[in-house]
Amino acid sequence: MTRKNLYQTLIFGLFIFCSCEEKTTRDREGLIIYQEQFLSWVRNFEPLNPASVPRWPTRGGIYEPLYIYNPIKAEWLPWLATKYEWRENNKKLLFTIREGVQWSDGKPFDAHDVAYTFNLTKKFPALDTRNSWEYLKSVVAVSNTILEVTFNRVYVPGFDAVAGTYIVPKHIWESLKDPLKFSNPNPVGTGPYTEVLRFDSQIWELGKNNNYWQPEKPYVDKLIFPAFSSNEQVTLALLSGELDWSGAFIPAIDRIFVAKDPKHHRYWFPNTGYSTFLHTNTKDPVLSDVRVRKAISYAIDRSQVVKVGMYNYTKPAHVTSLSGPMAKWHSPDITSKEDWTSYNLQKASKLLDDAGYILNNKGQRLKKDGSLLELDIIVVSGWSDWIRSAQVVSQNLNKAGIKAKVRTYDFGAWIGRMQRGDFEMSIGWAEKGATPYNFFKGMMFSEYVKPIGEVADVNWHRFGSEKADLLIKTLEKTSDKKIIKNIINDLQHLFIEHAPGIPLFAEPAWGECNTKYFKNFPSKENPYGPLSNNEQPSFIFTLLNVQKR
Amino acid sequence: MSKSISYLIRRLGFYLVAAFAALTLNFIIPRMMPGDPASIIFARFRGKLKPEAIEAMRQSFGLTNDPLLVQYWSYLKGILGGNLGTSIAYFPEPVSNIISSGLFWTIFLAGFSLIVAFSIGTLLGIFIAWNRTGKLDTLLPPTLAFLGAFPYFWLAMLSLYIFGFSLNWFPLSHAYGNQVSPGLNLSFILSVIYHAILPAFTMIFVSLGGWMLSMRNTMISTLGADYITFANAKGISSRHIMLRYAARNAILPNLTGFGMALGFILSGALLTEIIFSYPGQGYLLLQAVKSQDFPLMQGIFMTITFAVLAANWLVDIAILIFDPRTRK
Repeated sequence: MTRKNLYQTLIFGLFIFCSCEEKTTRDREGLIIYQEQFLSWVRNFEPLNPASVPRWPTRGGIYEPLYIYNPIKAEWLPWLATKYEWRENNKKLLFTIREGVQWSDGKPFDAHDVAYTFNLTKKFPALDTRNSWEYLKSVVAVSNTILEVTFNRVYVPGFDAVAGTYIVPKHIWESLKDPLKFSNPNPVGTGPYTEVLRFDSQIWELGKNNNYWQPEKPYVDKLIFPAFSSNEQVTLALLSGELDWSGAFIPAIDRIFVAKDPKHHRYWFPNTGYSTFLHTNTKDPVLSDVRVRKAISYAIDRSQVVKVGMYNYTKPAHVTSLSGPMAKWHSPDITSKEDWTSYNLQKASKLLDDAGYILNNKGQRLKKDGSLLELDIIVVSGWSDWIRSAQVVSQNLNKAGIKAKVRTYDFGAWIGRMQRGDFEMSIGWAEKGATPYNFFKGMMFSEYVKPIGEVADVNWHRFGSEKADLLIKTLEKTSDKKIIKNIINDLQHLFIEHAPGIPLFAEPAWGECNTKYFKNFPSKENPYGPLSNNEQPSFIFTLLNVQKR
Repeated sequence: MSKSISYLIRRLGFYLVAAFAALTLNFIIPRMMPGDPASIIFARFRGKLKPEAIEAMRQSFGLTNDPLLVQYWSYLKGILGGNLGTSIAYFPEPVSNIISSGLFWTIFLAGFSLIVAFSIGTLLGIFIAWNRTGKLDTLLPPTLAFLGAFPYFWLAMLSLYIFGFSLNWFPLSHAYGNQVSPGLNLSFILSVIYHAILPAFTMIFVSLGGWMLSMRNTMISTLGADYITFANAKGISSRHIMLRYAARNAILPNLTGFGMALGFILSGALLTEIIFSYPGQGYLLLQAVKSQDFPLMQGIFMTITFAVLAANWLVDIAILIFDPRTRK
């Protein structure tokens, strides 16, 4: 009996010990963040290589670019540069580099570091994320504060790539043998957080840069990153106060998250300005007819899609697909144009009649050869919000007489089909950027169109328009804001006329926070930046403004 | 003795051929899957990365258009040199580093639960077969078979919810607490044990019945053999008959099963690791498949293959020791 008691005491003691060890309260000095889904951390802080998977916030929080784009305000903010100027008919771009900036190891930062970074990407094309050297001729530091970028042809959108490149220290990268295999375990950057305080496979901590160039910022001493392997784990951690800031998708968030502590549990899902699309393969014999594409769009009840598919987190798409911060680009004539994103079954039915698809007595549309009008929608399996949206679209189309089946594919198979043009309809995203230029180029630029069967990296729906090509090429040559605005207006009119894709709903950016231990997160009332931490590098606004309670 | 050595060498030769076949399949299968990793990683950015980046990524990954035979040759050479390539999902980390980080936790958790489940299950099987009219024998087999029939993920989630979330007795995730640093210190070891209790318990719980039932069944048929009756007639102590005469013969099928299970540890803990967020091999495999990380997938499959083959060879040796007939 005594032996049994001994065991009992031992086991009991062990439990007590473990419990004591575990129940110690959370570290209140550090902001606990979730952004990446990994079960064990790999120590990598390399910002340049697009193939590399560096820890968040390497791109933006440790290494900073010359300018940072704020997607909430839709404007560029001067960062490591203080101003820029186009010269010689937009063939030269001059940056004034900020003075008084130091690397986190105390060495001074100047224009030579910037020039070195660009020439590094020239020497190693694998580091040239934006393929900038296709249009760049030279990048030279004229002095410690002036950087001169020369283009080999006029290409104004190149500004985005140049201004957005993360600048690395010359004195560190110079001595590397192979920058392609460099994982940069001990980063030296200009950003607000640079000191790795601890790095274990399950948790790591990043301390603030004491040499940061914005005085007194950042306010929080360190960031803590526990590893989470699923969204459920993230939700549990948010609820229990073990997580302060996250960019996860949480279903029914008002009930699951906010209702548990309405004072501290907050979320903000503003629109990114762009839309999620129902892509239509314009090389398909049925979908090549613009009347069919518009009829499909008229037949979709977008408010139902948003309600069922997206938990009402967003709103139906605008006919230009531009909304939220991008709405400022809307053409003044937009109201006089056709609004084919409104729900209108009569118009859908008339367009299908005109296109020659006859309605039979069962309410189904028939092709000319007498077979049923059938179109499949392909979606990535497991992306439940999009699958639900596709199901609603499918029901809507059935009502209009078009038999639409939803088929789900594994991500690899799905992307393969999209790239080869082996699909009829699909739910997907469109190109984004600081201006609608990237979006319209991705939607309508002929040079991106590849024949069916060949891999296309963008323009999966394979639509090209010579008018759009001309507009886009003119746009690439001008830095005049008025001309840019006019061309974007024309591109919108072209988009409305041809409906190369069908926008479904405005795309939200997920962001949640628990304000129990920290304050001053961005919100609808205080929209200084996005609450979502998924957008590089704009999460830096939050990093610089959050304060301890 | 020389006969048994030649037997072992013959088996080893067989396993080498099997390993080679597995390596070849391991090379072919990922290459038959649709999509290439650079496009997939590009697509993950959902329009935020410009299409121009794809070329840069292909260069970094060293994706080549070499003929398959050339790729196969460099693949075999790499494996012999212990070089499994560079992971794509964790670029530029070498695959061997990533696998070794997951391997330890999987072997610890799944290996420990397998040994516990096997020992307890087998002992219980021996015992209830010996006392096969007792209360335990009427109670245990149906109960454990019933529990073992539950879908594992459901049982694991339920116990995570009850003991982890509602009662708060055990941690919800990870292999050790966030306050401790890995190393040879008491608080770390205790934390590891504490975190392993719930996942290990669920794994033991569902597999216990299988070990017990198979042991009980072979044991009962062994107990009917003539030599047992003879041993009884000779007056040998019943404990000695139970363990040395009956169980020693009856354990052979269970031993083979143990060898198989030992090999599958490396892949079999997938669900446990996902539900309990345990940083092991199974979760790595899932992530590798998701991001089309061919080198990592190949590395993991290879460790699984070698583990299964090595475990089977060890079982061959064990059977040689337990069963004198194989030595003749």
